Amino acid sequence: MRGQWIETLMGFVVLALAAAFLIYVVRVGGFEGVRRGYEVSARFGDVGSLAPGATVSVAGVKIGTVSRVSLDPKTYLAQVDLAIDPEIKLPADSSAKITSDSLLGGVHVAVAAGGSPEDLKPGGEIENTQGAVDLFGLIGQVVRPQPSGDPANED
Amino acid sequence: MTRPPPKLEWRGVSKRFGAEPVLNRLNLTVPAGCSLVIIGGSGQGKSVMIKLALGLIRPDAGKLLLDGKALPGLGGRLQRRLYGKAGVLFQGAALFDSLSVWENVAFRLINADGVPRKTARRRALAALERVKLDPDIAERFPSELSGGMQKRVGLARAIAADPEILFFDEPTTGLDPITAAVINDLIVDQVKRLGCTTLSITHDLASARRIGDEIAMLHEGQIVWRGPAADLDRTDHPQVRAFVDMQSA
Amino acid sequence: MRLVRAIGQVALAVLNTVGAVSLFALRGLAALLTGPWFFGQLLRQLSAIGFFSLPVVGLTAVFTGAALALNIYVGGGRFNAEQIMPQIVALGITRELGPVLAALMLAGRVSATIAAEIGAMRATEQIDAMRTLSTDPFRYLVVPRLVAAVIALPLLTVVADTIGIAGGWLVATRFLDFNATVYVRNTVDFIEGWDVVSGLIKATAFGFIVALMGCYYGYTASGGARGVGRASTHAVVAAAMLIFASDYLMSFWFSRL
Ligand SMILES: Nc1ncnc2c1ncn2[C@@H]1O[C@H](COP(=O)(O)OP(=O)(O)OP(=O)(O)O)[C@@H](O)[C@H]1O
Ligand SMILES: [Mg+2]
Repeated sequence: MRGQWIETLMGFVVLALAAAFLIYVVRVGGFEGVRRGYEVSARFGDVGSLAPGATVSVAGVKIGTVSRVSLDPKTYLAQVDLAIDPEIKLPADSSAKITSDSLLGGVHVAVAAGGSPEDLKPGGEIENTQGAVDLFGLIGQVVRPQPSGDPANED
Repeated sequence: MTRPPPKLEWRGVSKRFGAEPVLNRLNLTVPAGCSLVIIGGSGQGKSVMIKLALGLIRPDAGKLLLDGKALPGLGGRLQRRLYGKAGVLFQGAALFDSLSVWENVAFRLINADGVPRKTARRRALAALERVKLDPDIAERFPSELSGGMQKRVGLARAIAADPEILFFDEPTTGLDPITAAVINDLIVDQVKRLGCTTLSITHDLASARRIGDEIAMLHEGQIVWRGPAADLDRTDHPQVRAFVDMQSA
Repeated sequence: MRLVRAIGQVALAVLNTVGAVSLFALRGLAALLTGPWFFGQLLRQLSAIGFFSLPVVGLTAVFTGAALALNIYVGGGRFNAEQIMPQIVALGITRELGPVLAALMLAGRVSATIAAEIGAMRATEQIDAMRTLSTDPFRYLVVPRLVAAVIALPLLTVVADTIGIAGGWLVATRFLDFNATVYVRNTVDFIEGWDVVSGLIKATAFGFIVALMGCYYGYTASGGARGVGRASTHAVVAAAMLIFASDYLMSFWFSRL
C-alpha cells in the first residue's frame, strides 16, 4: 500500500464527483416522480413525432410532460396523456396545440389557457386541440371539428 | 509384530514427466525419530520425491504411506493430518511475496491455527532468532532479502509451529559456512531434542554427515545405497564413491 | 479428412476448457459455502479490485456519456427528436454501457492482475507451500477474489452510471443549449427502477466472470514467467469475450421479461 496515495486520492475524487452529481439530481429532479401531478388527456388528429417525456407548456413555461401517447381505437385519434404540475390549475376551456420547439426543433404541447371560471379536473380532457402540422405543409393549420353534443364545451 | 510402522514410506512409487521417467518403482522408509538425508545428482528427482510424499503431485504407480496408512490423493483427510504436523522448506524458499517476513513465518499460526496475531508475531520472531536472523527484518518483504536470508526465513516458517515431520530441500545451499553450521545444529536439535522425523536433501556432504542418522542415495529413479553416515567413506558402491570422492577432491 | 480432424480437435479442446472452468467455478462455490473464510483477504481484494478501479471506471464513464450524448443528439436531429436525448443517454448507460464498460475495464485491470499474481505464486511453489501450511489456497486466494469482484462490480457500475449520465449532462448543458434542470428532470422521470437494476444484475455476472477467468488461468498456469504472461493474456481475452456474449444473452432475456 506504500506510494499509492495518488491512486487513493483519485478514488476519493471520483466518489466525491459521483456523490455530488447524485445530490444535484435528487435536489433538482426533485424525485417529484412521487408528486407527478395530475393527468389530463387530449385527442389529436395527428401528433407527428410527439413522444412521452415531451414538454407541456403554457406561454412557453413548462408545466408538465407528456406521459403517454396511444391510439383511441374507436375514433382513430391519437390519445395523449399529459402530466400537469399540481400547482397549475387550467381553465376547463383551455386548448392544446402541438407545435415545433423553436429551440431544439423537436415538438411539444403548447396549452393556451381559456377564460372559464371552472378548472379542468384531474382525469379531464382538453377538448380544443390542434394537431401537428403535416410535414409537407399541404394542409396548413387544421382545427379539428368539435365533437357534437358535448356539454363540457358549451360556453 | 510389535515393531511400529515407519513414519513415512514410499512403496513402489513411479513418476514420469512426459516420456522421461524420473522415479522408477522407488522404495524407501523413514522410521519415526530418524533423520534421513538424501543425496544424489542434480535432476535425479529428489525434490519430486518430497512433493510426492506431500501429495503435491500424484504418483503414476505405487503409493505413499504415513504411519502405515496409505495417503490418498490431494485434499484427503489423512493428507490434511500430514500437513497439520509437517514443516516444509522448499528448494526455492517459496515465500509469499505479498506478505512481510514475520507474516510469512506466522502464516500457519494465523491462518490455520487461529493464533492471535500478537502471539503469532512473538512466536515468529522467536523462530527467526533460531535461524540467526535479525528481528529488524521482520517487517520487510521477501523481495528485499538476499537468497540465503530467504532460505532461512523459509526454514523459520517450517519450524515455527513445532511440526513432527520436517522436509528440508537443500537447507544450507547458498549459506556461508558459519551460518550453515548453525542451521545444521538447528536441524540436529529438532531431531534430538524434539524427536522430529526429518527428511533432508543436500549436496553438501559435511552437512549430510552432521545432520543425517542415515544417508540414502537416489540414482536413476531408485535408492541405490543406504547406510549410516559413517559408512559413506567405507562403501565401494560406485555411484556413492564417485559422489564422495568428487567432493573431497 | 485432415480438416475434419482439426475441427474435431479444436472442438474437443474448447469443450475441455469449458468443463474445466465449470468445475473450477463449482469448486469455488463449494469452498465459499463451507469455509473457513479469510475476511482479511476479502477486504484486501475489495480495495484492490473495487476502490482502486474507481479512477479508470470514472474516466471511461464520463467520456462515454459525453460522446453518447453528442451522437444521440446528431442522430435524434435527423428526425427532429433531439429532445429525447437525455432519456436515451440514461437508458443506454444504465442498461448497457455502465455495466459493460466497467466490466471491460475490470477485465483489463483485474483479470490480468489476478492471473499474474496467482500464476506467479504457482510458478514459485507458493501455492504448494500454502497447502503444506494447512491453508487451502482455493479458500485463501480464489474465493476472496471471486466474492470481492461480485460485490465490487455492481458498486462500480452505480458510479459508472452516475458519472456517465453526468458526462452527457455536461455536454448537453455546456454545448447543446439544454437546460440543466430540465435535462435532469427528464432523465429522472424517464428512468425506471428496472433499467438500473437490470444493469446491476449484469454487473454481478460480469464481476464473477472477471475474477473467475483471472483465477482459473492463474491457478492452472505452468511454464515459469512465460506461462504467467500467457495466463494473463488468456484471462483478459476470455473475460472480455464472455462479458460480450453473456451481455447479449442477458439483454435478450431481459427484453422478453
Ligand atoms: N513439474 C514438472 N514438470 C515437468 N518436469 C518436471 C517437473 N518437476 C520436475 N521435473 C523433472 O523431473 C526431474 C527431477 O527434478 P527434481 O527437481 O526432483 O530434481 P532434483 O533431484 O531435486 O535436482 P536438484 O538437485 O537440481 O534440485 C528433472 O529432470 C525435471 O526436469
Ligand atoms: Mg531439487
